[in-house]
Amino acid sequence: MKAFLKPLLVILVCYLLLKIGVPLVGSILHPGTWPVIPTGVMKMYVFFIVTGVLLMSTFSDEGYDALVGPIVDLYTNPAKAMLKLVTVVLVGALGAYITYQYVKPTFDAPVELRSIHPAPPSSIKAFGKRFSLQKLKNPFRVEDKEQLAKSAEEGGIVYYKNCYFCHGDKMLGKGPFWEGFNPVPANFVNIGTIAQLTESFVFWRIATGGPGLPSEGTPWISAMPVWHELITEEETWKVILFLYEYTGHNPRVTKEHH
Amino acid sequence: MMQIDSIKLHLCLGAGCSVSIKNSFGKMFSRAVLILISLFIISGISTGKSSFLADSLVSPVFASDAQPADSDGEATADGEAAAEEGPSVWAPAPPPKLEASDYPIVEGWNARISVWIVAQLHLFFAAFVLGVPIFVWVIEIVGFITKDNRYDRMAHEFIKVAMTGFSLTASFGGLLSIMLAVFYPDFMEYMVSVFGKTMLIYALLFFVESFFVYTYYYGWDSMNDGGKKKMLHLFLGLMLNISGMSLMVLSNSWAAFMMAPSGLGADGAFLGNVWAAVNGPLWNPLNLHRFIANIAYGGSLTAAYAAFKFISATTPEDRAHYDWMGYQSFFIAIVGLLPLPFAGYWLTKEIYDYSQQMGITLMGGVFAWLFIIQAVLIGAVFLSANYYIWCSLGRTNGADRYKFMIQPLGLVIIFAFLVWFTPHTLVMTSTEMSQVGGTHHSVLGPLGVMAAKNGAVNLLILSTFLSFQMFSRSNTEVVGTGFWAKNGTAIQIGLYTAGIVNILALSIWSYFIPAALRIGLSIPQVVTTLIVCVVAMIIDMLRNRGTRDIAEMKWGNMPIRSQYSLFMLAGSFTWLMGLMGYCRSGIRQHWHVYTVFRDNSTEAFTPTLPYAAGMVTLICAIFLLLILFMFWMPMLASKKKKEQPQPDSAVEAG
Amino acid sequence: MFNIIKIVFFCLVIWVGFAAYTLVGIPLIIPAAPPVEERLTGEITMEQFVALGDRVFHGKGTCTLCHNALLRAPLLDSIGAEAEAILKDPRYKGEATTGEEYLHESLVHPSAFVVAGFGKKGTNDTVSPMADVSKGAIALSDVEMDAVTAYLQSSAGVDVTVALPSGDAPVEEEEVAEVKPAENATEALMKFECSMCHTHPLIEEGGDTGPDLTPLVTRAATMKKGMSAKQYLVEAILDPNAMIVEPDTYDEDTMPDDYADRMTVTEMNMIVDALLGKEEKKEGGE
Repeated sequence: MKAFLKPLLVILVCYLLLKIGVPLVGSILHPGTWPVIPTGVMKMYVFFIVTGVLLMSTFSDEGYDALVGPIVDLYTNPAKAMLKLVTVVLVGALGAYITYQYVKPTFDAPVELRSIHPAPPSSIKAFGKRFSLQKLKNPFRVEDKEQLAKSAEEGGIVYYKNCYFCHGDKMLGKGPFWEGFNPVPANFVNIGTIAQLTESFVFWRIATGGPGLPSEGTPWISAMPVWHELITEEETWKVILFLYEYTGHNPRVTKEHH
Repeated sequence: MMQIDSIKLHLCLGAGCSVSIKNSFGKMFSRAVLILISLFIISGISTGKSSFLADSLVSPVFASDAQPADSDGEATADGEAAAEEGPSVWAPAPPPKLEASDYPIVEGWNARISVWIVAQLHLFFAAFVLGVPIFVWVIEIVGFITKDNRYDRMAHEFIKVAMTGFSLTASFGGLLSIMLAVFYPDFMEYMVSVFGKTMLIYALLFFVESFFVYTYYYGWDSMNDGGKKKMLHLFLGLMLNISGMSLMVLSNSWAAFMMAPSGLGADGAFLGNVWAAVNGPLWNPLNLHRFIANIAYGGSLTAAYAAFKFISATTPEDRAHYDWMGYQSFFIAIVGLLPLPFAGYWLTKEIYDYSQQMGITLMGGVFAWLFIIQAVLIGAVFLSANYYIWCSLGRTNGADRYKFMIQPLGLVIIFAFLVWFTPHTLVMTSTEMSQVGGTHHSVLGPLGVMAAKNGAVNLLILSTFLSFQMFSRSNTEVVGTGFWAKNGTAIQIGLYTAGIVNILALSIWSYFIPAALRIGLSIPQVVTTLIVCVVAMIIDMLRNRGTRDIAEMKWGNMPIRSQYSLFMLAGSFTWLMGLMGYCRSGIRQHWHVYTVFRDNSTEAFTPTLPYAAGMVTLICAIFLLLILFMFWMPMLASKKKKEQPQPDSAVEAG
Repeated sequence: MFNIIKIVFFCLVIWVGFAAYTLVGIPLIIPAAPPVEERLTGEITMEQFVALGDRVFHGKGTCTLCHNALLRAPLLDSIGAEAEAILKDPRYKGEATTGEEYLHESLVHPSAFVVAGFGKKGTNDTVSPMADVSKGAIALSDVEMDAVTAYLQSSAGVDVTVALPSGDAPVEEEEVAEVKPAENATEALMKFECSMCHTHPLIEEGGDTGPDLTPLVTRAATMKKGMSAKQYLVEAILDPNAMIVEPDTYDEDTMPDDYADRMTVTEMNMIVDALLGKEEKKEGGE
């Protein structure tokens, strides 16, 4: 019986770790939140934990018998008819409960599938002309260190006049207005944002803003303004330079071809 | 003598050296031969420029480079269009701008679906028949050097399974090219205008390959004298592999060209240098990826074949034999599988370098979710592989000493897999989002990025290797008093600990550095994994000098359910290949040749993931039917020979 | 046989399972349909087209060199609205029937109608000093001329009648066809529109916006202290504002100061030599 219960216990512990442990860690990292594991991911986690633990327990014949034996016994042993009935009812009820949870109507908004970094188009229209993103380079990224610093500084002015209110004074995405937004403003210090993008991608995202997102970025709820209507092309490039200079990240570069 | 330490074979296959020969000259010789062979194959594949293959392609290129007028003379022979241009002016033609009406409609046929099915089936069979001869040949060499007839028999049996595959591969290849010509004539015309020369070489190579296939297979028994004739036979096997690889790299160049065209002018017109078109940015990454995958795939299919025979076997001898064969194939499949993610990283990196748009389409856009499925499949593969190894403990006589390790090892594997599987973009309901506090999950978010996944996958590989090492020593006991026999295990524990700490530390560190460096950091992680594996294996070899087998390995003493993990392995590989085929082809989006030749057919749209998954399942089912036929054929042949069919297989045949 | 069925069943279950997972476990994303092929029509809005015209008018077209408050040429603020009236003017010699056609025509054939008082000296307002902007150094493309027309109509407040460009017509970035270097001084003087403002024996019909260049043959050497004749002329061409001769008559910033970029050294030397009388006059002098 011990061999039968052990895998179940392991599964239960793992489940609790995911169900309570993960949000607990998250609530310590970010007080005020309770970051549960999203249902879709949780299902897969549990599926693989159950499968893995079952495999772990059945590789030897003894383990297999210990796990399967009691079940076979339950269903074949006439002495356990009552227990069998209870089990069948319980399992059936569990199935019914899961099914009910699955189909019952809810008032939740539909699940959102925003892709945070959707593929850019090959060319975009901004500032009254057309840019081919593949070849686009930051004209202010020059070898001359002094010139670079000067452009970045000018970009900083643009940043604090326009971007600061949402993206914050330290580029952490926590400007005065950040709490009002969902999705929250991008955190440029985080390695998951500008650090893994090319400057042309960043240019695209600034110039056309939330409304310029392709269909993978739906629903278009990003509050990012369409900046090419508000600032100049030059200012856009300078502010990009500033973002990288300030955060210390380097833009991703693509190899030259042909 | 049944007692063969199978690890020794694995050492030959894996590390390119053999330790199973007692006499030291033979040892050195075999080591040298194997190292040479592996170097030859790898250099031939991965560094195209230095290989003889490349040279054969370069020569026509240089000709056309030096004398453009000459190459024009050849071009005029190809088509009248060129003749009208005038023979002295070489005017490259850009790819045509097609309309939907330019694509022929054949009633009752859907062009894309037909081509999809046939191309994928062709690739399944091609991967199988290209992969099998590679390890058949290596096993044959091992048998030749060790004079152990069982290797020879196994190699012969493997090639027998693959034989039916050759004709099916060729049939599907022919069907594919005809379909392409019928359904996409303009596209094919353009491809021929660029690759015409290499296509002719390709067609000719078929004859060369067929010649070596037949001489290699039918000459097996008559040349099996263990001496000069056998060496000639080995040469035939080498030529078979070389011609097969040449076929593969040639056709890879077309696929790579469609994804990342090279050697073209700004308007997409071919500039006349075939080598430039062949040697595109994705060609070699694709070559390496497919070469390794072919080995893994060939191994997994032969493992499935052995599993099928094992389940159907009625005598203990048959069970022992097919268990052994299944185990060897399984090992080949895993050896092929382990480096595959890294070849995949290289390919992906080159795709990113070639075009950020294509890279993001692949990893961040429509196809991002496909990699979650891929992760699930790879997890399934790893779990079933580990399960098979754990079950293998049942064959040994001293496994009880190690069984306590399975539980924690299994948990590490599951944990690493869960990290590996965690998606970058989480799908959340609005309730969950408010609990999480936005779209960024503070715990899972950091696990969804490459930094975490690199660590996880290396941990996964190390754990799997540790499982295997446990199995490999569970039938031995220490009797000697040598240094390694006494301290080997302790050193190995230290080695594994250091390796795991290094991998985890690198993973954590990589959170704090820029993307470009972070990608580079995966290399030291892989190197760590490889070093730990290789060194631990060497220590095992040294340790084995002071050990002896407890008793004879109990081949055949495997539960039936273990064999299903081999089917799982083969099934997952097949399906995964199909899915990644959709992905590789799909990231071109609405282009025949990316950014150069637009696909304007009505079916230029990118299919959704479930649609593709359904197609892949359908193709896999067709493939399963064909492969059953393929496995059934050699049984038919052997039945006739034996003239006393086993009752079970007679039923199976029906 | 039973084993085969079991295996087939097992394989189908895992494959269908994988497919079912992609259907249920993965959010469905429908990839965007292939983009409609790019054509300039519809790709560019009228606002952008007018903005392009604006840039050409103030930049590449060098129109404001003369069409400015100094009234070297008539102001064009309301030309879009007046064009229709000009067509009815008896002095109009062109073939245009609509305002738009007139605007376009006046860019290519400036002499079709010359506003009173703005004609070339001595022609009684029958010949315009303006150059054909589709040729020479300005060399506007059709699309650019259309854009300028659209801009003129727009700034006059009338409806823009110009059709948006179609096909893959070049916009702005596209470099104009290579301008051939001049072969002799006469050609050079024409090419760089010296004739529009200056007079000189090599120039067929000169203008009076700038000083007469004829006396330079003798005067150039003494124009500026410490400079040879050649040095002075080079400076006067490349940096016109360095010294304005007769500041009361001629204004600063009138002569373009970008010849350093546009002229080849050979062309400049040819012009300097010609001004110093070193060029054989048989070619230009009639």
